[in-house]
Amino acid sequence: MNDEKPYRKVETQALLQQIAFRHGMEAMAASEEGTLAWVSSGFPVEIPVAMNVFPTYPEQAGAIIGATKIGPEVCGFAEDLGYSQELCSYARASIGSTDRPDDVAMGALPKPQALLGCNNICGTILKWYDANSEQTGAPVFLLDTPPLEAEQKPHHRAYVKQGLERLIEFLAKTFNTTLEEDRFREVSDLSSRAIKLWTQSLKACQNKPSPLNCADRFLTMAPVVSSRGMEHCTEFYEVLLAEVEDRVKQGIGAIREEKIRLLWDNIPPWFILRFFNQLAAQGVVFPADTYTHAWSGAVEGTDTDSLLDGIADIYSNVYLNKNLDAKVDKMCQLIKDFDLDGFVMFSVRSCKRYSLGQLVSKEIVTERTGVPGVVIEGDMVDSRLFNEAQIQTRVDALLEMFV
Amino acid sequence: MSYPEVIEQSNQVLKALVDAGERVLGYIYPHPPHEIIIAHGLKPSLVRTNPSVVGAYEASLQTFSCSLTRNLFSQRVNNSFPQLAGIVFSGNTCDALQNVGDVWRKRFPKDNVFRLTYPVGDLGASSVDFLAMEIKAFSDELASLYGEEFSESSFREAIMLLDEIRNALQLLYCVRILHPSLISYNTLSSLVGEFLTAPTQEAADRIKMTWNEVQERIENMGQRNKVGQLRDSLLNHDLSDFETVIDTSGPRIAVIGGMIEPNTVAGLLENVHGISDTTLVLDMLSFGFKTVFTPPVGIEDDPYEESARSILGAHSEPTQEGLPKRITFLKDVLTRLSIHGLIVCEQSFCDPDEFESPSLERAAKEVGVPTVKLPLDSELSDRARIEGRIQTFLETIDDN
Repeated sequence: MNDEKPYRKVETQALLQQIAFRHGMEAMAASEEGTLAWVSSGFPVEIPVAMNVFPTYPEQAGAIIGATKIGPEVCGFAEDLGYSQELCSYARASIGSTDRPDDVAMGALPKPQALLGCNNICGTILKWYDANSEQTGAPVFLLDTPPLEAEQKPHHRAYVKQGLERLIEFLAKTFNTTLEEDRFREVSDLSSRAIKLWTQSLKACQNKPSPLNCADRFLTMAPVVSSRGMEHCTEFYEVLLAEVEDRVKQGIGAIREEKIRLLWDNIPPWFILRFFNQLAAQGVVFPADTYTHAWSGAVEGTDTDSLLDGIADIYSNVYLNKNLDAKVDKMCQLIKDFDLDGFVMFSVRSCKRYSLGQLVSKEIVTERTGVPGVVIEGDMVDSRLFNEAQIQTRVDALLEMFV
Repeated sequence: MSYPEVIEQSNQVLKALVDAGERVLGYIYPHPPHEIIIAHGLKPSLVRTNPSVVGAYEASLQTFSCSLTRNLFSQRVNNSFPQLAGIVFSGNTCDALQNVGDVWRKRFPKDNVFRLTYPVGDLGASSVDFLAMEIKAFSDELASLYGEEFSESSFREAIMLLDEIRNALQLLYCVRILHPSLISYNTLSSLVGEFLTAPTQEAADRIKMTWNEVQERIENMGQRNKVGQLRDSLLNHDLSDFETVIDTSGPRIAVIGGMIEPNTVAGLLENVHGISDTTLVLDMLSFGFKTVFTPPVGIEDDPYEESARSILGAHSEPTQEGLPKRITFLKDVLTRLSIHGLIVCEQSFCDPDEFESPSLERAAKEVGVPTVKLPLDSELSDRARIEGRIQTFLETIDDN
């Protein structure tokens, strides 16, 4: 009997635990020092980092709660407070773990002094942080980045830039700090370098076999979310890229026998990442996904003003802040660039911004690329909303098309 | 009037307008630039949900899209909308409306679908500038599509018309709060409904006529000034200086929530056994109070800026920044207007409603006002249970 697993673990993942531990310790220290901010994943973190405000991420905490399979219980704490089960499970996990931190083994965050949200990923952020604000007493700062219909119009960019200037004032007042241009440039450079290294690793998956699978990328994206603008984040992606390039050079794939290459759309079900490993046994690899490609814009500029211009541009132009056409274009491009055979769209009940429109975009993507796709429905944290057998049946039906 | 009757009446009004050669522009979010739309020769009309239309959205939207968007989409699939020259979707208000607007364009490519993007942030002049630019772009699009340029004179006439309507409705709202026996909630919600169907001169005349009738009685009671003071306080979002003695011999209930029509609430209360006509004294709904208590559009500056300033001067929606201010205002309403109970409406799968309702309930409880939460969908599919909940709630308040 062959006990060899159908997938190969990425060695660099071992560093993740160290980074997570370090991040957790620094967050606790920052909380005690009064310099901790909870930050949404699409927030221009380069500014608070440059102003010595330490960021930590409720979404990432939600992913941890999901991965440790306590999602239903922790979401339930929020439901006990009156929050509907129909709401985002990241938000429910965050509200629940804030209400009962002692009952959450992993994923409760230290008390923040501010909540920094940017609605480029969804409109829910504001409502979620409003709830957190009532719980913790920390004020909310919202960076409003109105969704784009096409190219960003000048008045959109001006409005976002005014929001950024307001952010600097808010941080200065709340944390008694200032934004120094040299430090801002340094943090932005570090952030850009990390993002460039990360996107190089993503691009390497165009190779056959793909050096990384979906689950690998979902795990190794953590530092680019949580530690952009910090030295150790850049170092992590240097190590990761070296491993990825080595795999490519040696023709080593993320899975043992790559037969079918698929695109993944949406946030993953964190509580069942083995889903991807099970598919690996059938020769299915996911060389690309729309989720991890979200962190791909590098902040560039030579002084504070041009850096703010760059941030107003980059952070408005993220995948989730664009219209359906742009999302379809991106999926078609990924299918072409990564030479994919089909796609799986995970319809996440928690996330309307990501998911509503998938039924239509599935048809258009197939029409334009000629490859088949399937929509499966579930949730990223709340496993009560995930029917594994039903999902497997739908994915099997897709895979049969490639036989 | 039952809600199906409201829809029927609304459809008749819209049909008459279309037959008379008018172009009707439908809107979904409760704060369209009415005056700008009218200045392009169009009639703005709320696109209403229809409880009798179910389940025709499934090929395009998931079940977790909010009940409002599902219902509207189903109506469009079934061709059961009145004849609209176009439909305005809001951008940046909630994720469902944002995405469903895109889906609508794909599924119904011949429809004239507009997007008007609102600022979420409370950035003062920056927000006004942003919205003014969006309204200007929207105005240009209207001119380009319908061939009717923005008319300054029509704009000024529209400002006067909307002022007449809102002014009378604001005063009627205040009368209802202070002396609910003088105007029934059914009447008030019907008049608001007429405004939402189409802000026509005929609707304005009926609303003003009702106000004139009520005004006489208010003046006879020596309460005209008090009504005016309350109106000003509500327009200023500040009740801290408002003081009056309110007759609290019967229970006084307020209802709060998002994009739900006062008519829907009135229809639900009609079937609740034993409810008095004076019980529900105030709605704080997006399509009622918040639409009505919008400050007038000025005529001094650029029309787009004036329009933006008016829209952003309305009471903020759950989709906007400002929860702490909304909570403070709610507490003031409950305490200074002697409210005994609060009904919190929560539309199914509506993120803004469902996120905000626990905060509203907590705020009410902090000032000693009991609450009941009503999960609603556009089809009112759980109507009997909802009415039962209201009845039990009212009995609880009666007992206290």
